[in-house]
Amino acid sequence: MRLGEHPILEFKKGKEVTIYFNGKPIKAYEGETVASALYAAGVRIFSRSFRFHRPRGFFCAIGKCSACMMEVDGIPNVRTCKVYVRDGMQIRTQTGTPDAEKDRFAALDDIIDRLFPHGAHYKRFTTPRILREFMMKQMRKFTGFGNPPKAVYEGKAEFEEIEADVAVIGGGPGGMSAAIYAARAGAKVVLMDENPFLGGQLVKQTHRFFGSGRHRAGTRGIKIATILEDELKELENVDVRKETKVFGIYDGVVAAVQKDEKLLKVKPKKIVVATGAYERTLIFENNDLPGVYGAGGVQTLMNVYGIKPGDVGLIVGSGNVGLILTYQLMQAGIKVAAIVEAMPRIGGYFVHAAKVRRLGVPIYVNHTVTKAIGKECVEAAEIARLENWQIVEGSQRVIDCDFICVAVGLSPTHELLYQAGCEMKFVPELGGLVPIRNKYGETTVNGLYVAGDVAGIEEATAAIMEGRIAGVDAAIKLGYGGDEAIKIREEVVKDLEEFRSGPFGERIVAGLKKVVVA
Amino acid sequence: MRVAIIGGGIVGLATAYNLAKDGVDVVVFERKYLLYGASGRNSGGITAMLNNERLIEMAKKSMKIYDEVQSEIGFNFLYRKDGYIKVASTENDLNKLKEEMNLQKRMGVKVKQIDANEVKDFIPDFNADAVIGGVYGEGGVIFPWPVIWGYAKGCRELGVDVKDYTTVEEIVVKDRAIDGVKANGEFFKVDFIVNAAGAWSNEISRMAGVELNNKIIKEEICVTESLKPYLDPYLLDVTTGIYLSQSMRGEIVGGIVGNEVESIDVKGSLDFLVKYAKRAVELIPKLKGLCILRQWAGVYDEGKDIPNISTTNVKGFIQANGFGKFGMCLAPAAAIEVTRLIRKT
Ligand SMILES: Cc1cc2nc3c(=O)[nH]c(=O)nc-3n(C[C@H](O)[C@H](O)[C@H](O)COP(=O)(O)OP(=O)(O)OC[C@H]3O[C@@H](n4cnc5c(N)ncnc54)[C@H](O)[C@@H]3O)c2cc1C
Ligand SMILES: Cc1cc2nc3c(=O)[nH]c(=O)nc-3n(C[C@H](O)[C@H](O)[C@H](O)COP(=O)(O)OP(=O)(O)OC[C@H]3O[C@@H](n4cnc5c(N)ncnc54)[C@H](O)[C@@H]3O)c2cc1C
Ligand code: FES
Repeated sequence: MRLGEHPILEFKKGKEVTIYFNGKPIKAYEGETVASALYAAGVRIFSRSFRFHRPRGFFCAIGKCSACMMEVDGIPNVRTCKVYVRDGMQIRTQTGTPDAEKDRFAALDDIIDRLFPHGAHYKRFTTPRILREFMMKQMRKFTGFGNPPKAVYEGKAEFEEIEADVAVIGGGPGGMSAAIYAARAGAKVVLMDENPFLGGQLVKQTHRFFGSGRHRAGTRGIKIATILEDELKELENVDVRKETKVFGIYDGVVAAVQKDEKLLKVKPKKIVVATGAYERTLIFENNDLPGVYGAGGVQTLMNVYGIKPGDVGLIVGSGNVGLILTYQLMQAGIKVAAIVEAMPRIGGYFVHAAKVRRLGVPIYVNHTVTKAIGKECVEAAEIARLENWQIVEGSQRVIDCDFICVAVGLSPTHELLYQAGCEMKFVPELGGLVPIRNKYGETTVNGLYVAGDVAGIEEATAAIMEGRIAGVDAAIKLGYGGDEAIKIREEVVKDLEEFRSGPFGERIVAGLKKVVVA
Repeated sequence: MRVAIIGGGIVGLATAYNLAKDGVDVVVFERKYLLYGASGRNSGGITAMLNNERLIEMAKKSMKIYDEVQSEIGFNFLYRKDGYIKVASTENDLNKLKEEMNLQKRMGVKVKQIDANEVKDFIPDFNADAVIGGVYGEGGVIFPWPVIWGYAKGCRELGVDVKDYTTVEEIVVKDRAIDGVKANGEFFKVDFIVNAAGAWSNEISRMAGVELNNKIIKEEICVTESLKPYLDPYLLDVTTGIYLSQSMRGEIVGGIVGNEVESIDVKGSLDFLVKYAKRAVELIPKLKGLCILRQWAGVYDEGKDIPNISTTNVKGFIQANGFGKFGMCLAPAAAIEVTRLIRKT
């Protein structure tokens, strides 16, 4: 299931190693994550859900969903999509008896609601005391997710305190631009991103960008990431920390963990949050079955790890992401059975839709997915026609596919803003909860800025410009850059207004009216 | 007779439950949701290994009441009785533990001294080098949420009006006696008011014109990702104030005994995480590398008397607060005392 040839991407295989999965040897290559190596070897069930023992498979591929947690060399709850294979590694599934794949308790899925309905652990077998205490002992045996730790984690536990003018959280186009513009104005910047690479969403984008020439249209997304990173490298006053996850903002102090072994306490004068967005999911029967993915998961699997998500896919959602993903899949030699779209029209740009059509992929508008079919992983999907958002009885039909990819939009990754105390507002036009801010991106928390998708779901072009504005404004407020910086800031503000003035910008502009205060 | 209880924490609800069992007409006011106060934020450590006779007596009784009340109400509080360990790393602290143990033993608490190595009998992965000794006794961990839900259920079944999202704004006193209480703009005529508002008790007391200077303590706590059964007893390191135990969901729940603060806030801090994590992995090295899922803080009040159960110079205004860091251990029995006090007045 590894991708061999790819027209745009190149996959270098590392040295062959052997890892052990529930005792069984599996071949893998250095540089692969454990989860991708297992997936490539045909493993589909990575864990079981807590109560119903339903199968859980490779899902987000970026350490966020916890479906891939296993015991690795005696350490429990390791996100196997985030650790790389090493020769001789011992990997065990944690849930299910004897293991996640052959779980005897899978039968609970059908019966537990009858035997032990939700909340029963509080309400049943409460009396007499003897029975209650006996039941507690039995219940406890079924609790917990990770195995008890068998070894002492060998990772380092270091600490570093960093002082900076501007801390930028998120290394996508928004964050990188903020760092570049703050640093060019003279500020000392630290840029943190949780991934081992910079670029955020861009690195998944093998296609040429849309938009005007001035805004790098025609350039592939991955290329834009490289250009920005090169610009960053030229600046000595930017400290880039990759694999560094920010977990909190405590009264202006940014707390992060670098490579899982170093705690960073960053004390900046200004903060730019550019954490991007996460994918929404959709509710339908069996939507937790292994083989149901988000678009990002499939892109990561394919474009980052070089692994085929399956042979035939069904794409849900015809926005740009769904369309682009479709031809990325085709590029990688994977069939797409169809695209379903609940709206009466295609959501994405015409150019993308036309390309997909030319490749022979049908797009069914007024359709949705109603069910994933399969026992342990997706074997087919049921779709149905919608009229006034209601399923038309009798219109259901089965589509043959072995994976389903949900691409129904993004929501801002707003958690840090909430925790830092920003005043937030739900704005559907911007994709969800976004912070109140001024035109330079400064939120209601003094000195805390936002830029990019976290401020409202838009495009890389807008993210870049918002990043520049926030970065340069933060620097200006700290006394850097002089009149030149102010000129730059006002230019970009104007540029961004122009960019949004077209028909595609209407929705965004309407949304911004609700949150941007003078 | 009608009684208003201010505060829907364990003290308020347990008191309401006991009064209602006695046939009293009770209304409980909770400003936010049930669980908002310290009763929804604590670590559920249950022990009678306390440091004076009154507290030990009260805690012993409470442990018995927990057993009975769960059957009575038909609700499982997930009270896991796998013991309570206190360890110390200075001679001074260890001597204090021993002294207290002698008192506890005299009063019939099942407790024994253990050396650092014997801690491993209860927690096999414990690092004996981290401490010099300790005590082990009966007790364990209760899950605070079902305690509150359960008491609230019991109250409602007995006809108590438990009003959440209802803020007490004013206490009406006439001729130095309680006339009633105003909550969310509505007036309730009552004969008694029980001030069970935890950390907010000083404010409530002021509304009745009674000075109460309970200390306000903020305490921080966090949970890790869940593990299968790993840690049986509740562990408290008295020297550093760090404690940890395992919930029925499998999470390692742990915190640091709180400090006095000027004003109420429930924000979590980075300093807490660092201090907690450092000591927790010294005590149990295999916890290293576990992810922390959530952190939060709670506030409680400590009276000059712990707890403060008393009448005041305003007739009908009863104090039931100041439980300090032992509210979960003490409240069930304390509630009976409050009920008696009201009956007597
Ligand atoms: C398939 C697809 C196609 C697209 N095509 C186009 C296109 O053709 N043209 C266009 O203009 N736009 C396009 N976009 C949109 C564009 O990619 C995004 O709008 C843009 O990447 C947003 O940039 P950002 O910097 O705000 O966020 P992101 O690119 O999402 O970057 C955010 C970064 O922050 C990191 N992060 C988040 N939280 C933390 C934390 N707590 N600690 C550390 N790091 C953190 C994330 O891992 C990520 O790397 C496309 C998007 C997709 C998914
Ligand atoms: C982190 C932490 C760990 C702890 N660990 C333990 C432990 O292991 N064992 C133990 O025994 N104890 C422990 N405690 C202490 C215990 O939680 C408290 O002693 C106990 O919960 C106090 O209960 P209470 O009912 O007095 O107060 P609370 O539970 O705080 O209830 C008071 C209620 O009054 C309400 N209120 C305030 N003002 C008004 C108003 N104007 N109108 C209406 N309602 C109002 C509040 O919203 C609140 O819900 C811990 C506490 C914390 C914070
Ligand atoms: S956390 Fe690894 S697949 Fe989601």
